[in-house]
Amino acid sequence: MGLWEAFLNWLRSLFFKQEMELSLIGLQNAGKTSLVNVVATGGYSEDMIPTVGFNMRKVTKGNVTIKLWDLGGQPRFRSMWERYCRAVSAIVYVVDAADYENVHVSKGELHDLLSKPSLYGIPLLVLGNKIDKPGALSKEGLTEQMGLKSISDREVCCFMISCKNSTNIDTVIDWLVKHSKSKN
Amino acid sequence: MAQPLVKKDDDRDDEAEYSPFLGIEKGAVLQEARVFNDPQLDPRRCSQVITKLLYLLNQGETFTKVEATEVFFAVTKLFQSRDIGLRRMVYLMIKELSPSADEVIIVTSSLMKDMNSKTDMYRANAIRVLCRITDGTLLTQIERYLKQAIVDKNPVVASAALVSGIHLLQTNPEIVKRWSNEVQEAVQSRAALVQFHALGLLHQIRQNDRLAVSKLVTSLTRGTVRSPLAQCLLIRYTSQVIRESATSTQTGDRPFYDFLEGCLRHKAEMVIFEAARAITELNGVTSRELTPAITVLQLFLSSSKPVLRFAAVRTLNKVAMTHPMAVTNCNIDMESLISDQNRSIATLAITTLLKTGNESSVERLMKQITNFMSDIADEFKIVVVEAIRSLCLKFPLKYRSLMNFLSNILREEGGFEYKKAIVDSIVILIRDIPDAKESGLLHLCEFIEDCEFTYLSTQILHFLGIEGPKTSDPSKYIRYIYNRVHLENATVRASAVSTLAKFGAMVDSLKPRIFVLLRRCLFDSDDEVRDRATLYLNTLGGDGSVVETDKDVKDFLFGSLDLPLVNFETSLKNYEPSEEPFDINSVPKEIKSQPLAEKKAPGKKPTGLGAPPTAPASTVDAYEKLLSAIPEFADFGKLFKSSAPVELTEAETEYSVNVVKHIFDGHVVFQYNCTNTIPEQLLEQVTVVVDASEAEEFSQVVTKPLRALPYDTPGQIFVAFEKPEGVPAVGKFSNMLRFTVKEVDTTTGEAEEDGVEDEYQLEDLEVVAADYMLRVGVSNFRNAWENMGADCERVDEYGLGPRESLTEAVNAVINLLGMQPCEGTEVVPSNSRSHTSLLSGVYIGNVRVLVRIAFGIDGPKEVAMKLAVRSEDEAVSDAIHEIVASG
Repeated sequence: MGLWEAFLNWLRSLFFKQEMELSLIGLQNAGKTSLVNVVATGGYSEDMIPTVGFNMRKVTKGNVTIKLWDLGGQPRFRSMWERYCRAVSAIVYVVDAADYENVHVSKGELHDLLSKPSLYGIPLLVLGNKIDKPGALSKEGLTEQMGLKSISDREVCCFMISCKNSTNIDTVIDWLVKHSKSKN
Repeated sequence: MAQPLVKKDDDRDDEAEYSPFLGIEKGAVLQEARVFNDPQLDPRRCSQVITKLLYLLNQGETFTKVEATEVFFAVTKLFQSRDIGLRRMVYLMIKELSPSADEVIIVTSSLMKDMNSKTDMYRANAIRVLCRITDGTLLTQIERYLKQAIVDKNPVVASAALVSGIHLLQTNPEIVKRWSNEVQEAVQSRAALVQFHALGLLHQIRQNDRLAVSKLVTSLTRGTVRSPLAQCLLIRYTSQVIRESATSTQTGDRPFYDFLEGCLRHKAEMVIFEAARAITELNGVTSRELTPAITVLQLFLSSSKPVLRFAAVRTLNKVAMTHPMAVTNCNIDMESLISDQNRSIATLAITTLLKTGNESSVERLMKQITNFMSDIADEFKIVVVEAIRSLCLKFPLKYRSLMNFLSNILREEGGFEYKKAIVDSIVILIRDIPDAKESGLLHLCEFIEDCEFTYLSTQILHFLGIEGPKTSDPSKYIRYIYNRVHLENATVRASAVSTLAKFGAMVDSLKPRIFVLLRRCLFDSDDEVRDRATLYLNTLGGDGSVVETDKDVKDFLFGSLDLPLVNFETSLKNYEPSEEPFDINSVPKEIKSQPLAEKKAPGKKPTGLGAPPTAPASTVDAYEKLLSAIPEFADFGKLFKSSAPVELTEAETEYSVNVVKHIFDGHVVFQYNCTNTIPEQLLEQVTVVVDASEAEEFSQVVTKPLRALPYDTPGQIFVAFEKPEGVPAVGKFSNMLRFTVKEVDTTTGEAEEDGVEDEYQLEDLEVVAADYMLRVGVSNFRNAWENMGADCERVDEYGLGPRESLTEAVNAVINLLGMQPCEGTEVVPSNSRSHTSLLSGVYIGNVRVLVRIAFGIDGPKEVAMKLAVRSEDEAVSDAIHEIVASG
């Protein structure tokens, strides 16, 4: 039975195969690379090294192939985010919801980036990560603090997730997949 | 393979025309590079575009920073493709762009992933690229992987890591040095390339540690190296160790010689050649040691591979310079190489034969050379000309055929360097072989009739002016010279006028005719030509009857300018037009010893001091200005010489003091340059107490103390002595710095009221004979020597005792006398057992001194010398001998 289903999936993917490209940004230690790992393999590791530059991953979900540009969040790389956000299907911006002190830095970087004319109209998905930690911001708090209400020139969505506990990861994938369809 | 050479060349031309990339344009290719950003990548297409970009870069096209950065980021997008071929191109492209593009660091993470991938090709290439873009901090993160890669079982990966290590050693030596163990393991690798690279890196890691290199060589020469390339490297390192180790040439046992000789029997030709070459280049190689090496090189001479023939003949050519006898065995093989298709081989063979050949074979060789001269390029022709010159000097009797050869090739087509080499050779032959003079001069005359090089024409005209009048029939040269006045450009015309004047001055019978010619030159269109003609007509007395040319005029015409041109130029530039005429005697004759000052500078600068040392500015002008500003020294007369600064304190002491000795006719002034290196101290009433009890002829006249010496601000103290006029008095002076110390509050910078008197012992200072000698060179020592005459010549012989080498003895004597070596005779060729040095100088009282010293060294390093001194004053000649006798 499983075999039959796999075969059908494969057939379906032949005809309805879709691709989308995403860039994954945010301050260092927000959990970008962890998110990629969780989406791709479901695995989570506490012990991560900072990304120097970028990682390129391809993930297939259903009949959608997602190309993920996972970019380093250290200050030296932030000026290069824009180059990898041009012409992507959506920008995924990850925020550490438990790190109050840096939320305003994160907000500044995000608004700087969105003001670039080359990125006009590209949908934005803001993810508040690490809600497993005590005292993490709520969705309303994050929306407020990140100033997401003021963004009017594109579609904006916000989810609260936890890579560690895989909370809300499915919602994110659904949003992404749906998004790729709606775009094409 | 046996196709005619010409055909092959044609093929290659065709290929070049059909190059698929010929004529592609940067702008268009940069446009094409947009395909890198396509959502659906076409790996084939992308690879092609990268190839085009690489082609452009290799053709010398440059990308601006913006273009390079743009292309770079587009290329990074290609990391999404899994196509192996495309990934390889991406690596190449990043490596090529890494110096010019910004932010290449962005690919670090991707490369680190590839470095640990399963595909060996990814791993090896990612390592190479990563090392190109990484910096010190990132390197520590990836160090672990690199160490693993060095001992990887895939040779491509290991080699990549080793080569990267060699590159990284330049920027991050301390990190790479930690990899020693892994590298050592890699040296034992079975893969030839890995062994080669590992040995190269291991040697570089240890290269500053002589003992470690020696150990490395000792362990490896016992035979664990299989790769021929690595073996070649090992031979090079071995010869380096041999060079540096104390030689025991006397006993004949040279360390590692057996190893080198063993390599002559190696399977691989490159190892054999490397070993043979290493043996020929050994210091003081004996003929017994040479023989096996020459034998294998001789075999190579008849090899079918051009590269082996070339290598062998090139090495033999070098050996022929030092050991011509050892090479004579190969002469027969070498003669067959004259007709070699490869012209480089033929040229080297010819020049080697010219060096080793005997008198009887000269004619035959010349005939062969004439045939092939037209086939070779100018630079080879120059080599041949130089070889013929030295051959001619070796066999003066053969000058006729050699001179004919030179004049023939002089008439043929050729560039400036080539023609200059020929003219120089002819000039040297004329100078050294009296018989060759007349024919040589005529050849030169004919050459200037049709010479397109102004420089050569003027050089020959000048030479004609000196040598022409001394020949048996000077009149025959006049026509050639006067033709120049009609036919050539202004520069050549002017020198032709000078040459005519020289003939007029020397040959009285020609004088009336010369005057006629010179008068015609008065109507020349060029100022310089007219001026010269007028000047010479006046000095030679062309207005009236024919008179004997007096000595002054001859001096004026033929004397050389005994001034360093640099000094002359600066003096002329400084001269301001005024009533007072320019005085040529005011030009300093001292040759500036700039390299010496530069060499001293880095060593003596105390750390933490902002003020530069005063020494490098030690030009005579500056000193003269400084001293003349001090009223006490005003009546001392003209400064004769200022010495280089002599340090009187160790480096990094509390007070740093050096002294400059200024020599006047009847006085000596010591200029003490003092620097206070303690921020907490202010020195006041600083003076130097000089004890001249060991310098009897000196008496102290003036001391100029320093009122205050704050931290880090150099100050000068002067002490003047009187000494007998014109006498080169010598003596030893002990010095004591005396001062009042005041504590300084470093925060406010204010000094305390009360000070403490203190003294500081300085090192002793000596005034030596060399201080009375100016280093003044002469342009032509031989002429100067002969003009000086033997009237005041003093000759004596001295034993110098055991010396390390001849060079050391020569330098010691030159420094003792403080004279200027002429014509490069301060350099002793290696291995020579005797040497002649020519020195020139001006002794106090403005007496010109010339010295010729013949050195000889015998077995147990005993050096003896014969010293011949000529000067204008017997007393001075004696004084020079006294310097040597007492030194």
